[in-house]
Amino acid sequence: MVKQGVVPDELSKPFWDAANEGRLEMQNCSACDRLQNPPAETCSQCKSADNLEWKVLSGKGKIYNYGVVYDCPVRLLQEDQPFNLAVITLDEDSGIQMYSHLPGTPVDEVPVGASVEVIFEKSANGQMIPEWQVVS
Amino acid sequence: MTTENAPASMYRATEGLGVWEHKGKVAAVGIGHSPTVRRWDGKPENSVGANSILALRKAIEDAGVDPADIDGLVLDPVTTTGAHWPPGQEIPMDVVNHWNPTDDPLDGIAKLSAEWILNNMPELTNVKFTMYGQGCMSHAIVVAAQAVGEGRTHTCLVLKSWHNLEGRYNQSGISAQDEVPGSFALAPGRTLWGAPGSYGTALQFAEYCRKYGKSHDMMAPFMANSRRNGLLFPEGYWAQHRPEQLEPEDYLNARWIAKPANLFDNDIPIMVSGAYLFTTSERAKDMKQKPVYILNHASSRGTQRSVLPTLDEVEAETAETGRKIYEGAGITASDLSFENMYDGFALFHQFHIEGLRYRGMQNGDALDFYQKDISIEGPDPILPSGGNIGSGRSRFWMHTDCIQQIQGRAGARALTGVKPEIGVSGGPMPMGGNFTVWSATPD
Amino acid sequence: MAILISFDIDGTLEVGDPPGVLTMELVRKTQEAGILVGSCSDRPLSSQRAIWEQHGIAYDFAVSKHQLPDVKERFEAEIYYHIGDREDLDRQYALAAGFEFFWPDEALSEPWLK
Repeated sequence: MVKQGVVPDELSKPFWDAANEGRLEMQNCSACDRLQNPPAETCSQCKSADNLEWKVLSGKGKIYNYGVVYDCPVRLLQEDQPFNLAVITLDEDSGIQMYSHLPGTPVDEVPVGASVEVIFEKSANGQMIPEWQVVS
Repeated sequence: MTTENAPASMYRATEGLGVWEHKGKVAAVGIGHSPTVRRWDGKPENSVGANSILALRKAIEDAGVDPADIDGLVLDPVTTTGAHWPPGQEIPMDVVNHWNPTDDPLDGIAKLSAEWILNNMPELTNVKFTMYGQGCMSHAIVVAAQAVGEGRTHTCLVLKSWHNLEGRYNQSGISAQDEVPGSFALAPGRTLWGAPGSYGTALQFAEYCRKYGKSHDMMAPFMANSRRNGLLFPEGYWAQHRPEQLEPEDYLNARWIAKPANLFDNDIPIMVSGAYLFTTSERAKDMKQKPVYILNHASSRGTQRSVLPTLDEVEAETAETGRKIYEGAGITASDLSFENMYDGFALFHQFHIEGLRYRGMQNGDALDFYQKDISIEGPDPILPSGGNIGSGRSRFWMHTDCIQQIQGRAGARALTGVKPEIGVSGGPMPMGGNFTVWSATPD
Repeated sequence: MAILISFDIDGTLEVGDPPGVLTMELVRKTQEAGILVGSCSDRPLSSQRAIWEQHGIAYDFAVSKHQLPDVKERFEAEIYYHIGDREDLDRQYALAAGFEFFWPDEALSEPWLK
């Protein structure tokens, strides 16, 4: 599956730059010691921008939930349907979620609760995208 | 005249506000709808602007007021959630110039301003107050109710319109592009990973089924009930164009969109406009239609921690919404005659009604409740309007039905198993929406 | 040689919304030629059946878009066709199920008779 290309903008650039270098990084408020995804201009808890930083993560998580997409609005993905679309929570903070197509997991055979680890796949314009694979 | 979005102060979004200070002092006195169609045919007389004028005039006529008495207009300026005018597509200037345009050529075609309405309804000579309740009719209603209560307007039109174009929802624009901006790619909702609109709700439903031991099949009676009620709604799309019942077999054999959400769990996009006339209860006493009093309005402004609301977040938010609804109206769940909560994705209706504790249900009870008699003839009616599933994507059938039920004007859809005295309607989402309590009496 | 033809409705048949180019008379004529006919549509199954009954066509099947594999399993034919107007919901589903595919205007010339 090749996703749409991503053009990093100012807010999200650190995330995408890290992905290109094989790292999972996420916005963190050092004052609240709180991760947030998606990235935002301010901390969603203290509402301050003063303490936002980017933190390297372990790349480990769990499958929280999933659906199977049979009718996808995104043109580039339509030839791949049906496909898994899961929500992953991070081991560092189970309140933080990321999407995943779970490469390597058969469609609709998703082990909810299973451990996953991050990999990086190339998108249509070469930008690397974090994806997640079930840990055997 | 410059029209602003309603400020946050117009919404009752927190607990602890007590009874609404304007409880029972605002009333709905007129209803108007345009005909429904599936898509715009390109003609100026069938544009979203034209439909809007038609609905507004019908509401005025229904209320029996002189248009010159109307001093306020509240509307949602956004007329779609997925049929955006394709970038670069030529705008039909013959349509634009058929009307009295504003500076935006898409005004009246793929969006709608108060200015456009006033430019094209010369009979509205006295409108001094305009405001946007942006989001959908639920937003516009609470803004209008608050505005009348505060005395910003005395006799106020409330409008929501929808346009629909060729092509499939959400498949143009960014979905069709080869590249997306970096922040969009990580945003909730439609993203890089190709989630259809119903995906988030589907996942919450999946979590709900796992937690409470329920299944998608249990939705079938709710769906059949909604379509049945919708076919009794002559203003609605299915009744007007495709009067087909939705049998359980039909529902259970439908293809998946984002499993566990299937085709029929998603409402059908249509073109339609709906309008109401609100005024003070004092004025409403002597008007053409029986007034339907607004006891309260409440707003949900909860947000999820990350990209999708979890079931825990949804259940906490809907429970809080229920408490706010009752607190402001000075009632309890047992006072509700009926509910008309939103159903645009069928799979979240149960979150709304569980949050209401409707008929005493707790979290996890709704799908079992659907297996009972939920008809309009029974003691526990569910969604007598039929909602969006029953009549197409308008997000206002629920409000119209509340008003009509209480006024005794619901026709074949009239509740006979309960006396319709107090109803609640609103949405759209379990997290983020606006809700109204309607009543036959002001207290 | 047994032939089976599946018709999408909306955008394909004249009774669809939007109406398509293929007439119910063509479908009737196809059936009279001994070809198995039915519908594969997003319309509710009960509605599909009602359409056939309304037009006096003794359909052999009425299924949802994803159910062409079931049709293939139920009916033995030497060739299976699906006719529809959508790339994603008609052509892709048809090919995945092992059906040959025609767009509605291709079907006007009744190529299955050739």
